[in-house]
Amino acid sequence: MEKAEVAQKIYELVEKSTGKKKLKSSDIQKTISADLNITRDDVKAALKDLVDEGKLIYTYFGGSFVEIPPK
Amino acid sequence: MAAPQRRTDIGPPHFKEFLPPVIQKNYGDWKHHEVLSGGVMVHTANSGDKLWSVRVASPRLLSTDTIRDYAAMAEKYCGGYIRFTTRNNVEFLVSDEKNLEPLQKELNSKKYMMGGIGPRISNIVHTQGWIHCHSAASDASGIVKVLMDEFADYFTTKETPNKVRLAVACCVNMCGAVHCSDIAVVAIHRKVPTIDHDKVKNMCEIPSTIAACPTGAISPEPSKKSVKINADKCMYCGNCFTVCPPIEIHDPEYDGVAIVVGGKVGNLRSNPKFSKLAIPFIKNNPPRWPEVTAAVKKILDAYIAGAEKHERVGEWIERIGWEKFFKITGLPFTFQHIDDFVVARETFRTAATFKW
Amino acid sequence: MPKKYETPLLDELEKGPFPSFVTEIKKAAARSDMAADELGQLEKSYRDKRGYWKHGGIVGVRGYGSGVIGRYSSLADQFPDVANFHTVRINCTSGFFYTSKFLKEMCDIWDKYGSGLTNLHGSTGDLVLLGTNTENLEPIFAEFSSRGWDLGGSGSALRTPSCCVGPARCEWSNIDTLGITYSVTQEFQDEMHRPAFPYKFKIKTAGCAVDCIASIARADLSIIGTWKGKIAVDQGEVANYAKKGMKIQEEIVNKCPSKCMSYDGKELKIDDDNCVRCMHCIAKMTKALKPTGEKGATILMGSKAPFVIGATLSWVIVPFMKLEEPYDELKDLIRKMWEFWDEHGKNRERIGELVIRKGMREFLEFIGIDPVPQQVKEPRRDPFFFWTEADLQK
Ligand code: HEM
Ligand code: HEM
Ligand code: HEM
Ligand code: HEM
Ligand code: SF4
Ligand code: SF4
Ligand code: SF4
Ligand code: SF4
Repeated sequence: MEKAEVAQKIYELVEKSTGKKKLKSSDIQKTISADLNITRDDVKAALKDLVDEGKLIYTYFGGSFVEIPPK
Repeated sequence: MAAPQRRTDIGPPHFKEFLPPVIQKNYGDWKHHEVLSGGVMVHTANSGDKLWSVRVASPRLLSTDTIRDYAAMAEKYCGGYIRFTTRNNVEFLVSDEKNLEPLQKELNSKKYMMGGIGPRISNIVHTQGWIHCHSAASDASGIVKVLMDEFADYFTTKETPNKVRLAVACCVNMCGAVHCSDIAVVAIHRKVPTIDHDKVKNMCEIPSTIAACPTGAISPEPSKKSVKINADKCMYCGNCFTVCPPIEIHDPEYDGVAIVVGGKVGNLRSNPKFSKLAIPFIKNNPPRWPEVTAAVKKILDAYIAGAEKHERVGEWIERIGWEKFFKITGLPFTFQHIDDFVVARETFRTAATFKW
Repeated sequence: MPKKYETPLLDELEKGPFPSFVTEIKKAAARSDMAADELGQLEKSYRDKRGYWKHGGIVGVRGYGSGVIGRYSSLADQFPDVANFHTVRINCTSGFFYTSKFLKEMCDIWDKYGSGLTNLHGSTGDLVLLGTNTENLEPIFAEFSSRGWDLGGSGSALRTPSCCVGPARCEWSNIDTLGITYSVTQEFQDEMHRPAFPYKFKIKTAGCAVDCIASIARADLSIIGTWKGKIAVDQGEVANYAKKGMKIQEEIVNKCPSKCMSYDGKELKIDDDNCVRCMHCIAKMTKALKPTGEKGATILMGSKAPFVIGATLSWVIVPFMKLEEPYDELKDLIRKMWEFWDEHGKNRERIGELVIRKGMREFLEFIGIDPVPQQVKEPRRDPFFFWTEADLQK
């Protein structure tokens, strides 16, 4: 699977969860690697791209989470 | 001017670049050291080379002006080499003995305090407080300053039976190893936070606010689209405020500090120990917290009078017994002193042997 | 001309012999409006007996989830220059050694982009730059990283590893604390900068049981140097200590926790087999006593603050590990520990809490370590224990 597709899935997962449950990086890695049957390192690499591009950011609220940046 | 090219994941530079030549040469090959005074020690290598370290107190919170002054002195006397200690002291690393006197002279003339080496009170490990932290129940820097003013002689010259390690934490998160210090001041909140329901509704994510509470004291209050707090479970930790500022933990009337004693981290003689509660509460009284200084002085004086040489505060108290400690110091013993947390039953006296 | 505030309460803290943090803030405030507003707000805190900071979790540099602590004033109307006042954590050097050249460069960058106030060092070990606004974060990062410096850890990540001065200037160090810290820091950059753990993870390394970095009290992984072998005694130096007034029986022999020393007024004897390597005698008679033999470290885990299960000190998992470059055994152990934590840990559950919740057995089996008496103070007190099928077949 292309990295960009993985990234798309990650973004959708985070989007769906916004306002309901904050996701941790490990939640995303576990969910996406199981859903797409790929390794967690693949998920990590795609997540890194998303964060480097600024599409997702890390936040801290008594624990670190991955979220969509505020407008 | 464009900013320079950023790089990621490079980590810190290798420490070797920052070691003075005498250390590079004798790395891992030191023979012994001697404490020459409260503020100076000399290490001798197997090669015969020597390194003098001159230790100076810093308030930890430093302006760039003071750092530049340190740098200038390091250049003048130490080939530019300088280090910091775990306890926020500054160490000038002198390789050439003839620079030792002039450095000390300059430090003295600028009113820097040399000390902290040997069986003395070293600088106080502490946290951010009102300077910079959202959960602070008191100010750490202020309390550190007044304690060190009071005990300045024990930093520079006077000796104690063994090292006395002081710490100040400005809330129960205790960002600083207070729980294993000889004498520590921990700031505490004492009241369940108040909730501004209208603001909670607009500003906070309810699920993350509930999840933030370590004791599970927070639950939804659907009628107000807000949360409620179970007063019996709340430990006043302030985590909820961190996540959701309309839940207000600060309370100037009731916030203050507790004093804990008898902890240590080293393994020497006896195992590392936690500090235990000596005084459950003293009201905040800025700017100089005279009641806190007096309380710490009372405990320190009792220790100096009673301890054998090399005994740390905790070792002294364990030898004489806690009941004796309370008797000697005259500190009142209250319900707060009896543990009702997870290790409670380990702390109950399961023997008929004790002192009157 | 920067702003000025009347600070009668804080002025009281400029009195007395100990160097004053108020003086430091005032020096910076003479040049920086940010530092001036910090001073103004602090005076108000002293007057009102409460803090005025809000936590803020959404600032950082691009690509990282670590290294910046968001901080906002709740009195931004009154003190607009600290409306945002974020902390930047710069990864310290191992052992906190610096050159004047670097310190001056750091000051130049910080005077340009920040308040001019610092903490040397934060309790985490980082060089803490105290107070800047959101726009300056990227330029600050570029200035430092282009010069070879990176950000430290924060959030649910590996925190900046730190260590005692060790072999750089201490005759007692059994391991290369600085080398280990540097190597581990470089190895796990991703784990530092992109928080993916259930909670924070701290590694602190001490060269001996004196533990000058307090690793046993505040690290999820505490590495404490030790040795297997005799303590060599130089009887001539023992005699010198006695001559200089040391009461060897009282101060050394009687204070030995394992009562394995004896002294007849001439010769100091140590029953090495019963020595627990507490360092008391060595620390007090450094010229006379020297550990010999194999050097390595005891690996402990799990210390953390009181929430939620109460404070713990770190406990032994590996009684002795040789630690030599490239430290693969140690790094593999760390990876295994993280794997266990990742699999079973809940959000904000420290690894020590997890191991207590799950039991040491499950943890030790997962990381592949056998049970040994050195891991406990005493065996269990009750007969209520579990047997696996495999145990029953033994
Ligand atoms: C939910 C709990 C916690 C929260 C929300 C929290 C938050 C913070 C924040 C915001 C800071 C930065 C302060 C600043 O520089 O402005 C900080 C610093 C720190 N925290 Fe925590 N913390 C928590 C628990 C802990 C615990 C349990 C420990 C250790 C026992 C700890 C250790 C530290 C240390 C060592 C620092 C650096 C402090 C300094 O340099 O003065 N934290 N924490
Ligand atoms: C009563 C006074 C106490 C003080 C002043 C205190 C202070 C501290 C400090 C300063 C740290 C350092 C954390 C760091 O630098 O990373 C710390 C850590 C810790 N304390 Fe305490 N403590 C106290 C009581 C307790 C108690 C009663 C417990 C448990 C029952 C406890 C458990 C811990 C734990 C588990 C850590 C872990 C440090 C970490 O999370 O990194 N403490 N404490
Ligand atoms: C879990 C395992 C234990 C079992 C099965 C057990 C069983 C027994 C039994 C059968 C007796 C004899 C009662 C009698 O003479 O009527 C006894 C007595 C006693 N047990 Fe235990 N016991 C256990 C653990 C302990 C522990 C942990 C302690 C102390 C810390 C303890 C302290 C005593 C004492 C003091 C006596 C009285 C001895 C005497 O009368 O001379 N037992 N126990
Ligand atoms: C909750 C668990 C247990 C309770 C409440 C319990 C209670 C008792 C009591 C009250 C006695 C004394 C009987 C008497 O006075 O005659 C006893 C005896 C005994 N228990 Fe337990 N017991 C428990 C678990 C166990 C376990 C797990 C073992 C073995 C592994 C055990 C082994 C024994 C034995 C061998 C005796 C007889 C001792 C003798 O006759 O001298 N018990 N138990
Ligand atoms: S001890 Fe509490 S108030 Fe102080 S810096 Fe740490 S979290 Fe903030
Ligand atoms: S102060 Fe702490 S214990 Fe109390 S409700 Fe808030 S998070 Fe829970
Ligand atoms: S922990 Fe041991 S080796 Fe490290 S500086 Fe302290 S005494 Fe020396
Ligand atoms: S190191 Fe400690 S246990 Fe060993 S002989 Fe010396 S005092 Fe005794």
